Amino acid sequence: MSGLRRMAARWRGAGFAAVLLVILIAVNLLLNPARFHPAAWGALIGLAAPLIGAALASAPVILAGRGGIDISVGPLMGFVNAMVIQVLFLRLGMSSPLVIVPAALLIGAVVGAANGFLATIVRIQPIVATLGTYLILTGVTLTILPAPIGPAPGWLKAMAGPWSALPLALIFLFWWLVRQTPYYDQLMAVGSDDRAAYTAGVQVTKVRFIAYVMTGILAACAGLMLTALIGSADPNIGPTYTLIAIAAVALGGVSLAGGRGGLAGAAIGAIDIFLLQSVLTAFNVSTYVLQIAYGAILVVAVIMTALQERLSGRKG
Amino acid sequence: MADRAGLSVRGLVIAPGVSPTTQTIAPGEIVGLAGLDGHGQERFLKVLAGLERPAGGEVTVEAPTGARAITNFRKAVACGIAYLPRDRRTTGIFPTQSVLDNFAVSTLSRDMRYGLLSFAGRRQRYESYRDKLSIVAPRPDAPITTLSGGNQQKVLLARALALEPAILLLNDPTRGVDVATRHVLYDVFRGLAADGMALVILSSEIEEILLLCHRVLVFREQQVAAEITGDEMKSDTVIAAMFGRAA
Repeated sequence: MSGLRRMAARWRGAGFAAVLLVILIAVNLLLNPARFHPAAWGALIGLAAPLIGAALASAPVILAGRGGIDISVGPLMGFVNAMVIQVLFLRLGMSSPLVIVPAALLIGAVVGAANGFLATIVRIQPIVATLGTYLILTGVTLTILPAPIGPAPGWLKAMAGPWSALPLALIFLFWWLVRQTPYYDQLMAVGSDDRAAYTAGVQVTKVRFIAYVMTGILAACAGLMLTALIGSADPNIGPTYTLIAIAAVALGGVSLAGGRGGLAGAAIGAIDIFLLQSVLTAFNVSTYVLQIAYGAILVVAVIMTALQERLSGRKG
Repeated sequence: MADRAGLSVRGLVIAPGVSPTTQTIAPGEIVGLAGLDGHGQERFLKVLAGLERPAGGEVTVEAPTGARAITNFRKAVACGIAYLPRDRRTTGIFPTQSVLDNFAVSTLSRDMRYGLLSFAGRRQRYESYRDKLSIVAPRPDAPITTLSGGNQQKVLLARALALEPAILLLNDPTRGVDVATRHVLYDVFRGLAADGMALVILSSEIEEILLLCHRVLVFREQQVAAEITGDEMKSDTVIAAMFGRAA
């Protein structure tokens, strides 16, 4: 019973996104039953995975509050994509997942640590600090990989096909474990009110720094999923994920002020955007209109979430 | 209950150019801090908590195991000092979190079982403090903002007490709290002192200090203007000292 209640409490934040999810799934099933047939789920999840991954990656720093944001998530995905294919696979000839996955995660952790250092220790505003990283990573990626190149190792391509649910499942397992440690409560406390967290004995800077490292690692995962999907390396795709991922996070009920929401909400927000894309493409709508739809949905979602919070707050 | 410990203040100067303060606060004692707003009593309390650095002098915790100097907040917590902040809305509660999360944030690692958190253990700890402080909350997982001011304050007190401190520093603990709850808190404070905890209470209400404290330090112009104990503890004497008049 209390488990159910806790579930309900967790979903309340993502309420509008969850309702939208149900509607969009229904519409998609009507419009395109073949695409959403269980036999096609592997490819379908693989198609949605990079956006879901990017949204999950964006969430920890946003949860940590005080303007925490990492806009270098997209370029980091592109950088991981380029490093894995161009440097590790083609130049050094390493194709084993035991090399590629740890190397990618390490790159993510290092970039995340650099962002964390700039934002929490040097105390540059996170949006400026990660804008710097954004530009650097975009430039470095284009330097090592001026033009798209392929292919990708077979096992990695399978991660966008039959095994596409595996990386996402691993990310959720990882986050579930994080939730079972004191760190999660400290993260939410810092995001909710950092001065109160300090007087409660929480090491605010350390908690925020770790959030940036986690974002980096998750962005590297998203980069691997992107590599799996496109089966090659492309320097121009990664950066496009940044803004849409932040939109997904906001849509999923994660407050950009911090301390409210979670990774499940971010994932639902990302799936909403993916399904919306799918509906509109079924109608042969141009990508320009798609952009307008994203924007409109985002504004409506944020207003709905705010209204919902105000109403539930009043009821007490 | 942690080991008993007292607080020793030697030659403490909280602002440049004022006379130093030397005080010993013994286990089981309740000491009140009074003064007109901004006359140094809050600074004094924050220095005791390690949250602010004094202009001179030192604060040490006198435990049976030896004396340890308080130079920063983390050290203060490690030495068994718990601090309850004044403005609970801006520096106390986490408005987006539940009652249970608000309670547990300072003592998260106590619920670890086999390297993972035990939420049942956390809940059990909360329930025991809920009884002790008679917290009125619908459910532990309700948002803290659904509680009344007095009950929010009790949750914050429970958070501080969960650290099992030897010394409890309270910054105007009953501000904006209803009368019934105040008396519950007074009984709790007296009980803690009877168990050997040292309490320092800053209060903006003289009646409260007279009712609760064994002695009171009255601050005026960033220094202790008077120390009042025993029969002298009447509101006239305290007010006279606050305004700098001889009683």
